[in-house]
Amino acid sequence: MTILSQVIQYTISGITSGSIYAIIGICWSLVYLITRVLNFATGEFVMLGGMLTWGFHKAGVGVPVAIMLAITFTVVVALIMERVAIRPVRHHSEMTFMLITIASASVIKGIVLLKWGSETRTIKPFFSTEVINVLGAAITSQVLCVIGLLAIVTIGLSLFLNRTIFGKALRASAINLTAARLVGIDINKFRLFCFGLAGGLGAITGIVITPITFTGYEIGLLAGLKGLVAAIVGGWTMIGTVLAAFAIGLLEGFGAGFISAGLKDVFALLVMILFLIFRTTSLSTWLKKESL
Amino acid sequence: MRQKANLPISWILLIAGLMLLPLFIPSSYVLGVMCFIAIYGVLAIGMGLLLEHAGLFSLAHPSWFGLGAYVAGILAARGIVPPWMGIILGAVVVAFISGVIGAPLLRLRGYYLACATFAVLLIVEITLGQLGSITGGHEGLMGIPPLSIGGFVLKTDVHYYFFSWALCLGCLWFLSNLMDSRIGRAIKSFHNSELASKNMGVNIPKLKLEVFVLTAVMASLAGSILCFYLRFTMPSIFGFPLLVEVLTMVVIGGGKTLYGPLLGSFVTVWLRELIHMYLKGILPVMRAEVDAIFFGMLIIVILIFMPGGLAGGIDQLFSLGRKVFARDLDT
Repeated sequence: MTILSQVIQYTISGITSGSIYAIIGICWSLVYLITRVLNFATGEFVMLGGMLTWGFHKAGVGVPVAIMLAITFTVVVALIMERVAIRPVRHHSEMTFMLITIASASVIKGIVLLKWGSETRTIKPFFSTEVINVLGAAITSQVLCVIGLLAIVTIGLSLFLNRTIFGKALRASAINLTAARLVGIDINKFRLFCFGLAGGLGAITGIVITPITFTGYEIGLLAGLKGLVAAIVGGWTMIGTVLAAFAIGLLEGFGAGFISAGLKDVFALLVMILFLIFRTTSLSTWLKKESL
Repeated sequence: MRQKANLPISWILLIAGLMLLPLFIPSSYVLGVMCFIAIYGVLAIGMGLLLEHAGLFSLAHPSWFGLGAYVAGILAARGIVPPWMGIILGAVVVAFISGVIGAPLLRLRGYYLACATFAVLLIVEITLGQLGSITGGHEGLMGIPPLSIGGFVLKTDVHYYFFSWALCLGCLWFLSNLMDSRIGRAIKSFHNSELASKNMGVNIPKLKLEVFVLTAVMASLAGSILCFYLRFTMPSIFGFPLLVEVLTMVVIGGGKTLYGPLLGSFVTVWLRELIHMYLKGILPVMRAEVDAIFFGMLIIVILIFMPGGLAGGIDQLFSLGRKVFARDLDT
């Protein structure tokens, strides 16, 4: 393999994983901006989508039906989680919410482990298994599916948020919750809706990536966290999240290729830590110290 | 101050009970479980102090626990230093690392601190698994000798029982004194209002870092005792499942009091043993993640219905009793 084709290959894998993290990051921000809950079960929704599709398919249902069932099921799980575990909380502190979502994530993960074991699973690619060659690098049709999904999600969401009255109300309540409530927006309904939407998007992502990255009960944690990194670095906006996710994906692709494949997951986490540190010690405070 | 008068009696009762336990129940199974309770108790007390008293939401403590275990274990297994020295060196290394990492991270607040420390937790777990030549990789580190102090080798569960409970009660005693001192009051003050406590002259960043490092060192001591007790360590012991377990301890026990997490550790560890004993036939796999289903549900139920935890419940009961008792005296 020439160095050029290597670079192209890493770029493709970087963009693929970047698109995945971007959608997951959007799931985090949807929930966080409306409910102020950092939902650590987001990654588990991704895992559920893939595992449920595999499970239904194995039980004898055709792939398209299995996909529909898996998405519905994940949305139901997300709705139950909001209704049963998050809404009844009396002390609305960040810590309580975080403990509860971490606990929910571990419950979902454990139940999947009990039901389907710890082996990695996969489903067939949606279209052909053919490989397209670009300058010595290989692209599968599934990779194009992932990128297409990101395009559909971002365009669809921005149309929904900017053009429909419901979407505008959603944006309004993200900006100012109290004022939104004052003009008669039913916040509880919105919270439920956001959890359901995040669950559905997460499940779809999980299904689309299953033929590429495989799925297993434990993929949720890291996939979810990388989405969170993208959302935080992108400042909780859609464009920022997508850009940050591509940066993280490319960093990971090249890091895995040129440095170490085993430490691949460490890069994204390091980016988050460094970003958070340097965001607090902002440039202006440094300049002030210099002048003193 | 009223609590202080009660303290010695409860301490004497607790210590006497723990001393007598091996006489009445000499089974090594029960003593082994009690060892775990003490070791996890130290970790949980430290995390409870950070979460509820200092308001620092750090999720990285299982990795300090793990690093302590690994440093002591590697040094002892390679025969570089005697085991007791390994425990101390492990604590020194963890103090250094947690200080270096904590200094910039503790400026963060709320969710962001939690996210950053969660990242630290995963990074430590992945790195320990990847450094196969030093740490033994994912299969774990074998060949750790038993703990020996000055020619006395700790072999049986009874030895570890006394050793781990001595550490646990020592930490609890130290922290309860600390929290009654000027430093403790300063810690509580910045949890309530950082602005007010800053104006009273509390050096908040320094104090936060000190509490963070102190609890990290406690976790590392507990971790290194665990590695000598098990004579084996593995990166996945110190990952996400341990975090869920320790959070369960803090939530069940209630972090508002110092002894709460220890109580939580007692309940949680015994609950795990019961699950393993009675559900072995029903559940197809037994793993830390399966226990985490039960722990996760417990966390949710307790946070919704009993936010103060068991210790909060007991305190309420006492204050209710005191009220009833006082009314009787009046009439």
